Amino acid sequence: MNTQKVISGFFFILAMTVNFGFFYGDPANLEYHSAYELFAAIVINLIATILKLGDKTQLGSVLLATSLVADIQLIASASVWAFAEYVTKHIGLEETVAIISLSGGALIANIVSVTLFVGDTLKSKR
Amino acid sequence: MDSSNTAWIIIRRMRIPLLVIIITFSISILGMTLIPGVDDQGHPYKMSFFDAFYFVSYMASTIGFGEAPYTFTYPQRMWVSACIYLTVIGWFYGIGSIVALIQDKQLARELDIARFRNKIRALKEPFTIILGYNNITHRIIDWLNDEGIRVVVVDRDESKIAALDLENFIPEVPSIAADVTHPDTLKLAGIHKRNCEAVVSLFDDDMKNTKVALLAKLLNKRVKLVIKSTTRTQSEHLHNLGVRYIEDPFQFISNRLYLALTSPNLWLLEMWIFGHILRIRDRETLPRGKYIICGYGRMGHALEKALKKAQIPYTYIDLKSEQYKREKSSAVYGDAEDYRELLDAGVKEAAAIIAATKDDLINLTILSTAKKLNPKIYTIGRENTLDDVTIFKSARINRVYILELILAQFTYLFIARPLAYRFVRLLHTKDDAWGARVVEALHTLLGENPIHFEITVDEEHAYALSREVRKGRTVTLGEIRRSRADRTQPEKIYFLLTKSAEGEVTLVPDDDTPVTEGMRLLVAATEESRTDFEYVINNYYELEYVLTGEG
Repeated sequence: MNTQKVISGFFFILAMTVNFGFFYGDPANLEYHSAYELFAAIVINLIATILKLGDKTQLGSVLLATSLVADIQLIASASVWAFAEYVTKHIGLEETVAIISLSGGALIANIVSVTLFVGDTLKSKR
Repeated sequence: MDSSNTAWIIIRRMRIPLLVIIITFSISILGMTLIPGVDDQGHPYKMSFFDAFYFVSYMASTIGFGEAPYTFTYPQRMWVSACIYLTVIGWFYGIGSIVALIQDKQLARELDIARFRNKIRALKEPFTIILGYNNITHRIIDWLNDEGIRVVVVDRDESKIAALDLENFIPEVPSIAADVTHPDTLKLAGIHKRNCEAVVSLFDDDMKNTKVALLAKLLNKRVKLVIKSTTRTQSEHLHNLGVRYIEDPFQFISNRLYLALTSPNLWLLEMWIFGHILRIRDRETLPRGKYIICGYGRMGHALEKALKKAQIPYTYIDLKSEQYKREKSSAVYGDAEDYRELLDAGVKEAAAIIAATKDDLINLTILSTAKKLNPKIYTIGRENTLDDVTIFKSARINRVYILELILAQFTYLFIARPLAYRFVRLLHTKDDAWGARVVEALHTLLGENPIHFEITVDEEHAYALSREVRKGRTVTLGEIRRSRADRTQPEKIYFLLTKSAEGEVTLVPDDDTPVTEGMRLLVAATEESRTDFEYVINNYYELEYVLTGEG
């Protein structure tokens, strides 16, 4: 067992599951989506990104790319939320759907990342 | 070694500091949103994520804009106190890591390599790679820079590279500290580049030189190699490798001594090419009679060969500097035993003595001892390093052979002045009477201090002349050395050597030799006549006047 692998695998999968936790629910109703979950998703995605840094292989580069996509989508989602709440002071249907669908995009990036990670693990002989 | 190494090193080192910062921030932010506060109207509220993120961002970086959006309650302040220490430690750790990274040896090395590589890539002029930086190569760099040939230096020793950087050569000499016997180093120094002309390797260690020669030959067949070799077998090895130019300093000295003994005029011509004035000074005439060689190593053998060939009687004293120093624990020659040794060798009736050991101090003391025994003896000394040049000068030795200087001169000539180099080589095929005629001709025409230069008949260097020749007009060397002030008078120009575009070499060509396109000329002149000559061959009107009297 490789501790390094356990830690990074843990964060890659956690990033996906927490992301899913926020995304799941009626996309038109913000009450079904917790801000704490979005915060956790952002933090865990950032940690996963850092863990992917410094791997020079082809796979490492693709993993890093998916993580960066997820980060940008989630931060965009949080920014839309903050902007709607404090600047326009109105969270209507359009804003709600934007927040949720942005996190949905991040979820897909996370799924790709985890698939690649699992695929690589299966491929290795040990 | 790819160019993004620097970026990778930074990313790898910054992983843990970044993780620490993200975790401390998220803990602080989460805490801020969970702890209830009271707004300005006394209603309880909870901070939103945005407020918390804003507050923690300026708190962690210790900017501190005060408590926002409302004054904090005590539970909030307690949490903030904890957060301050948590996040500030995280920040300090991150900043500390960056500072440590800047001082990191490995990173600095990668940055050096990247910078060096960029400089090599930017080199557009022809350049020479010099391996090893020392007194010899320092001179070569100076001379090559004067000729407009750029130089790249590699040395294993970092302090030497630092010393080179302090020299402020103009134009700049890109340099790097690296192992010269490694192929990657040679590649880094640009041996693959089209404009890399030569590789110079003049280490004391013959094995190292051979290794460099082999590597360089394999990496780039076309590049000229200047490789030092001090033994015959080594030279043969190199020759078999196809190395075109092998420098054996002892061979040079042997040839030079032979010339000086048998044909002083040829010797004078060779020395003049290297910057001597065109006259033999009185103390430079070698005496006839018996010679004593002190030191019978590589140099001693080379000198012996020259003396034998010149049929000069000689004896030798087999003196090994290292053994001498070990046995007598002194680097000063001249105790009672040494006196006897010199007397036995016949110092009293000898005409000249040559001190040829590896140790400069022993050489000096041999000569001063010999002078004491026989004040009229002609002294010849071997000087090993250029550092001792002033001592040797003040010791009033009649003739000094400085190994390092000779190496530097030949290297420079080979790389920068191929025609002059050819001229020196061809001198050895001529006899002294021929030499005397050339020296006489140069004297009457140009005086005792002529200069020499090389010129190619092409559009860049001889615009008018090359155009006329290409049109099919016959122009001879005699015609272009007429004065542009009065064409009936000759200009102060003397052609020493021509090399046609096909590679045919003529030593001291006749006046009716026709000029061909792409021909290269080695010309002796004065400063003034050189300017006039260049004017004539570049300007249509001047050329026409010189050739026909019109225009």
